[in-house]
Amino acid sequence: MGKRAIEMAHTLTNPLRVGLRQERVISPQCLVIFGASGDLTHRKLIPALFELFRQRRLPSEFAVLGCARRPWSDEEFRSRMAEALSEEVSQHQSAWSQFSACLFYEPVDLQQQQDVERLGTRLEAIDRLKATRGNRTFYLSVSPAFYGSGCRTLANAGLLKDPNRSRVVIEKPFGRDYGSAEQLNRIVQACGQEQQIFRIDHYLGKETVQNILVLRFANTIFEPIWNRNYIANVQITAAETVGVEERAGYYESSGALRDMVQNHLTQMLALTTMEAPGRFDPEAIRNEKAKVLQASRLANEEEPWKCCVRGQYSEGGSPAMPLTGYRAEPGVNPNSTTETYVAMKLFIDNWRWQGVPFYLRTGKRLPKRLSEVVLTFREAPVHLFDAAGGSPTANQLILRIQPDEGAGFVFEVKAPGSGMRSRPVDMHFSYDESFGEPSDEGYVRLLADAMLGDPTLFTRSDEVEAAWRLYTPLLELIEDAPWQLPIHPYEAGTWGPGAADNLMAEEGLMWRRP
Amino acid sequence: MAPQLTLQAPLALPPSEVPGYLNNLWSEGLLGSAGAATFTLLVWEPSWLQQQLIRTGRIDGPISGLLNEELLEAAREAIPACGLPCSTAPTATELAWALGQQPGEHTADDLRGQFVDRAISAHRPRRLITLAPTLAADKPLETLVAAYCPLPEERSGSEDACGDVVVLRGGMGALHQGLAMLQPLIEPDLPCWVWWNGSMDESPELLEALAVPPRRLVVDSSSGDPRRCLDLLVERIATGQAVNDLNWLRLRSWRESLAMAFDPPSRQSALDRVVQLDIDMEGHHPVKGLLLAAWIADRLGWHLQSSYWIPGDEGQQGIGAEFERNDGESVQVRLMPVPVGITKTHPGALVGLRLICAPPGQAPLCVILCSESGGCMRLEAGGAASMELAEEVVPLPNESEEMEMARLLGGGHDSTNPLLAAAAPLAAKLLPQ
Ligand SMILES: NC(=O)c1ccc[n+]([C@@H]2O[C@H](COP(=O)([O-])OP(=O)(O)OC[C@H]3O[C@@H](n4cnc5c(N)ncnc54)[C@H](OP(=O)(O)O)[C@@H]3O)[C@@H](O)[C@H]2O)c1
Repeated sequence: MGKRAIEMAHTLTNPLRVGLRQERVISPQCLVIFGASGDLTHRKLIPALFELFRQRRLPSEFAVLGCARRPWSDEEFRSRMAEALSEEVSQHQSAWSQFSACLFYEPVDLQQQQDVERLGTRLEAIDRLKATRGNRTFYLSVSPAFYGSGCRTLANAGLLKDPNRSRVVIEKPFGRDYGSAEQLNRIVQACGQEQQIFRIDHYLGKETVQNILVLRFANTIFEPIWNRNYIANVQITAAETVGVEERAGYYESSGALRDMVQNHLTQMLALTTMEAPGRFDPEAIRNEKAKVLQASRLANEEEPWKCCVRGQYSEGGSPAMPLTGYRAEPGVNPNSTTETYVAMKLFIDNWRWQGVPFYLRTGKRLPKRLSEVVLTFREAPVHLFDAAGGSPTANQLILRIQPDEGAGFVFEVKAPGSGMRSRPVDMHFSYDESFGEPSDEGYVRLLADAMLGDPTLFTRSDEVEAAWRLYTPLLELIEDAPWQLPIHPYEAGTWGPGAADNLMAEEGLMWRRP
Repeated sequence: MAPQLTLQAPLALPPSEVPGYLNNLWSEGLLGSAGAATFTLLVWEPSWLQQQLIRTGRIDGPISGLLNEELLEAAREAIPACGLPCSTAPTATELAWALGQQPGEHTADDLRGQFVDRAISAHRPRRLITLAPTLAADKPLETLVAAYCPLPEERSGSEDACGDVVVLRGGMGALHQGLAMLQPLIEPDLPCWVWWNGSMDESPELLEALAVPPRRLVVDSSSGDPRRCLDLLVERIATGQAVNDLNWLRLRSWRESLAMAFDPPSRQSALDRVVQLDIDMEGHHPVKGLLLAAWIADRLGWHLQSSYWIPGDEGQQGIGAEFERNDGESVQVRLMPVPVGITKTHPGALVGLRLICAPPGQAPLCVILCSESGGCMRLEAGGAASMELAEEVVPLPNESEEMEMARLLGGGHDSTNPLLAAAAPLAAKLLPQ
């Protein structure tokens, strides 16, 4: 690839940081992207790879082989990617010309065995050309319908034979319920070993999600109180301001429960509640996550409608900025009963969490874009002081996943002045203020980890299955008796249907207004 | 990771038969193996220190080319015995030279090139070529070859990767002769690494002949005359060849710790207001300290005005320099050798660093980094009381050369690291004539 220019990432403000990312080195390999002509490839994957290249984290013995059915040439693939990334390319022209020299394309129909056999030959040629040492990462960025059959054709062509040299990355969604996830797991596990399978969950690529682990297990002050004796309840929120955008086709068949809760919120739940692993090792961590998910359940499994609220945004906004209701969005069935909001209550039946309610909510067209985990602690046993707000505010630890990544702690202090009144204050840690470093986009981290063969941030088969099993009563109810879990409309730009507040009001609680 | 011996006993062949033998080996089925498309690693392995310690009876053989604890201990004991200053590092070239003046006729098996560190073998080199010069300058050329396979527990599921090992052994004259047979042994389509695992100022013609671009060169600028080390680095980087310097890589934790001290945005403005930089180092080999100072100066955009020698303790000289910041203010830089009880393995290891910033209208900020193993009292003394003080301990990297080398072989090093490419020429200018 020749000489690389110094890349001064202009976003960096600490000049001593530039170029110091001598992280784990990705070994020589060929990354094969199926679905190379699709949306994800040019919007996320190639930009992430180019970023890795500019950070000098890709080895020189590296190639990307794009595959899809349309008969592009290497050149066409390169120029289309350059077009899609025109802004980055114009800023870093020489880096792009070096990077694009390692982009290749091969027309492959993943359904056609002979195409995949031919792919094997092409890969051998690339191994020789780029000294990629026979290491391959196959990224399935195709329709979920092809995940199973795609793995099978790869395996039949002998491309997954060596567990140390080949791996498969599978995009979301992994199944649409417990049964289909289990079946898909059976298929992919028959094609290779579990260590070769990397199931993507985008939330795990976020620095602050990873920070939950560090915060909990690198400090001694949290863990002793991280349990039912001290924690009264936990709220996990992932709020979006956007509506369904162009993804109506997909969203109509999925809904908020499948799109967000089963994967992202459940991963946040698992990281927040898992036991400490014995060591920082992918399997040890994933064992603990799987265990806690297996111990999780809906607050009322017999009558799931009592612990879950579904909603759908209707029109809203202001006259100046009107917001369309979900049913009027392009591509959406005007009578759609797909939920764009869901809130629910869970319990975890183990020694640490018995009896502590966990409230999860997510929705589109909410007032703020924000993800956070809020742990509310039990009240002080005796109220010695008058509180400014009537009763003292319970301590809260807030883990901000996005935006304003960081953590906050709410506690009571003496209100200034005579007397002994207390009032809450907020102690805040912000990633930006402390590090000033933009953290990597999730795909950068996840792609790098997959190519490094580090599965820590990918979901294992038992985790996926446990997560689907957890929501099975709800999915079945929506399927068999949807009237029991009605869709509550909520005005676009508000915090969801009022019924969601009732979920908490039973216990005298309220959702945090972030 | 314990080094491991080639599984096959190496076969001594006449040099002329080596290429043919290896071609046969590869055509008989190895070609499909994963080692087929990796790289060639060519190692210059003089191991003078080990050879001299063995010859003078200070350690037992075999000659392995590896730096182990026993060897380092014997070397440390030999330092005073050879009349060298106690700040001499065990791997300093002076020690091997001084041992060479001492009597001794002990001999040992020479297994250089036949030990493959697992960290390296894990990358499955297609071919490992070792040049092993002997103390006796007139020894004729011997060539050894062996097929090499990782131990079963390292192998992945399938039948797997093998490579081969070639050793060229003999006196310097013989090795020069052997150069001619090397070229055909290096697969032209695969990357080739040349690891100059010896002093940078010996056998310049041999280095010249081995390290031709686009081969990737790995050197250690803590070994050899400082001027020659820096000039060679600069010259090689200028050719566009990929140059990796183990001495620079060993600075990793210092660079990281210093960057960390300035991560909080509230501190970053202080970086524009540095007035003084002090670096304390072991012994009199200043290259490591110079590279660190040059990196800082380059990152902060300082311009070198002058550099000069500073007389120090025990006749050891320090280096002073004046830089100009972008705003025209001046920055004073000092690198001083300091006495230490036990030296680290490589010459010129860093003891401490102090960076003083004077932002207008604020208390001065003083950042002190100390190496884990020693205090840096000199830097902590004097005047720091009125400043905002930030002290960090820099962890000692605890990795063998082979681990460091394995990391390079892991990939991503086809060009010189741009930070090194910028720091090396400045370091060369910082070293006073
Ligand atoms: N886009 C996103 O933001 C996003 C976010 C999260 C997850 N995902 C997941 O990522 C995957 C890809 O999404 P996408 O949005 O990129 O989809 P897309 O734009 O519809 O692209 C699908 C790609 O698959 C190729 N393809 C279709 N049939 C094929 C076959 N038989 N063999 C080989 N290639 C075939 C298509 O190219 P040809 O027509 O040329 O074959 C196209 O390149 C999906 O699983 C999706 O769920 C996407």
